[in-house]
Amino acid sequence: MDQPLLVLDNIRKSYGAIEALKGVSFSVNKGEVIALLGDNGAGKSTLVKIIAGGQEPTSGRMLFEGEEYRAKSPAEGKAAGIETVYQDLSLCTNVDVVANFFMGREITRSFFGIPILDEKAMEAAVSKAMANAGTRIPSLRTNVENLSGGQRQAIELNRFVHWGGKLVLLDEPFAALGVEQTRRGLETIRQVASQGIGVIIITHIMQQAFQVADRIVVIRQGVVAGDVRTQDTNPDDVIRMITGESLAVSGTAARN
Amino acid sequence: MTPQTRRRVEFILDNLVWFMLIFVLAVFSAFIPNYFQPAIFANIIEASSVLGVMSIGLALVILAGQMDLSVESVAALAAMGVGILFCSAGIGLGIKLTPAWLAVPASLLAALGIGAIIGLFNGFLIVKAKMNAFIITLAAYIWVRGLVVAISGGRSAQDLDPAIRFFGIQRILGLPLTAWIAILCFVAFSFMMMKTPFGRHLKMIGGNETATHRAGIRVSRNLMIAFVLAGATAGLAGWLLTVRTSGATANLGVGMLFNAFAAVVIGGVSLKGGVGSLPGVYAGVLLLSSINTAINLMGLPANVTQVIHGLLVLAAVMLDTFKQTIRRSLA
Repeated sequence: MDQPLLVLDNIRKSYGAIEALKGVSFSVNKGEVIALLGDNGAGKSTLVKIIAGGQEPTSGRMLFEGEEYRAKSPAEGKAAGIETVYQDLSLCTNVDVVANFFMGREITRSFFGIPILDEKAMEAAVSKAMANAGTRIPSLRTNVENLSGGQRQAIELNRFVHWGGKLVLLDEPFAALGVEQTRRGLETIRQVASQGIGVIIITHIMQQAFQVADRIVVIRQGVVAGDVRTQDTNPDDVIRMITGESLAVSGTAARN
Repeated sequence: MTPQTRRRVEFILDNLVWFMLIFVLAVFSAFIPNYFQPAIFANIIEASSVLGVMSIGLALVILAGQMDLSVESVAALAAMGVGILFCSAGIGLGIKLTPAWLAVPASLLAALGIGAIIGLFNGFLIVKAKMNAFIITLAAYIWVRGLVVAISGGRSAQDLDPAIRFFGIQRILGLPLTAWIAILCFVAFSFMMMKTPFGRHLKMIGGNETATHRAGIRVSRNLMIAFVLAGATAGLAGWLLTVRTSGATANLGVGMLFNAFAAVVIGGVSLKGGVGSLPGVYAGVLLLSSINTAINLMGLPANVTQVIHGLLVLAAVMLDTFKQTIRRSLA
């Protein structure tokens, strides 16, 4: 790993007198899955918004691929290759997989100056992208409404990768999914990461964090209360980091 | 279920209204004397041209997840505009152009222009000022009709310029040119919805506006165009109405809005937006027209028509729910 994909350096965010983030620092590497944990109100959501665009930090800086990065809007974040994927907000279930994949970026041929959708080219591109990622969808011409939650997530993630996404943030991605769907969703996340994409997943479910993440970052009261490799820790320690019962689990927490 | 059966079931569901049309025509042909003859079928197509063109515009905005209740009044205003300009009797000014055929593009331009301007006005209030589409277009339904009555003084225009009237008289393959215009509109707009990015985007906006916005589709611009197109097609419907009646009266086309709604819903367009197709809407229009013709031929009182149309809309909505249940069990 040459340089980290994203570095957060002492990010602070205050709303008037209230400090939501009191100096958060951690980094994400290419192809790494980070589970961001923390109690309600710990500052996770604020942090996600600062990374993906939508809110700007009060102070501190971010480096994305070694360059100074700051997104004023989600569109700016997206242009840089960082995006939050919210399930219900990014697919049109009334059209097929191909149409969703190419939403707003359709391949067209000009026919007497009129742009005509090139369905064959688009379908070929989608089936190639899906095959590369190892995702199997029965038919790319089925409307998304007929697909399961896990399949929808796979479409979103593959679309993200296909269009040059580099870092994806997933906020409670399995909140509405069953056991089997969740297992497949976790597999999809691993596949995405194996293509060199950085993944930050926010979850409340400890088991999922341990199943999928390379590293676990715990936010508590606006600071990083723990930043540990998944293999070096266990659920009990992580819970202690979240609730703050015991410090000195990680160096970061001790410094703060 | 094998993929093949599944594809077959989906095909039937997608084109259900066409099967219904064929079924209804077959039943009528079998049981109503004199129904089965080319002239009757030509009449069905001819009688659906005005309603058909109006339904296209309505279907476009509904597919995009919006609503336009003003199409009927807009058509009436366009009809009255053309009537006043190019009729020679009543309140008509009887404008003559040289060469005479210039009246055709001039009247078309007037009708489309009137429709497009009102569509633009509605679109601006709904899309840019973020007002409720139902209320804004209901208001337009009322004030535009009011405008028709006001500018005509409640009187009518007759004797349309023969150059324009030509479109209602000249026939190709047994159908007047007005019917061909409606068919051409359905072909062109169906093509637009199925094959162009604009059509695809409209349908996706109707499905999930937030998602399209996040994907970088210019939602407001697309919706504005949809309202302008709805206005312009309503204007064209008004032009066809003038040609058919060779003039314009203040109450021209009253009640057509509900027939247009019936056609759109029967045609398989969901009022929630994002679901349906224009060929289906044309089948819906033809279905309504076939039933009207049957009622006429059987000599039933015309009042029955309205009851049957109402029941048909109810049936269409129930059918839509039923189709969704089947689709869900297919998934």
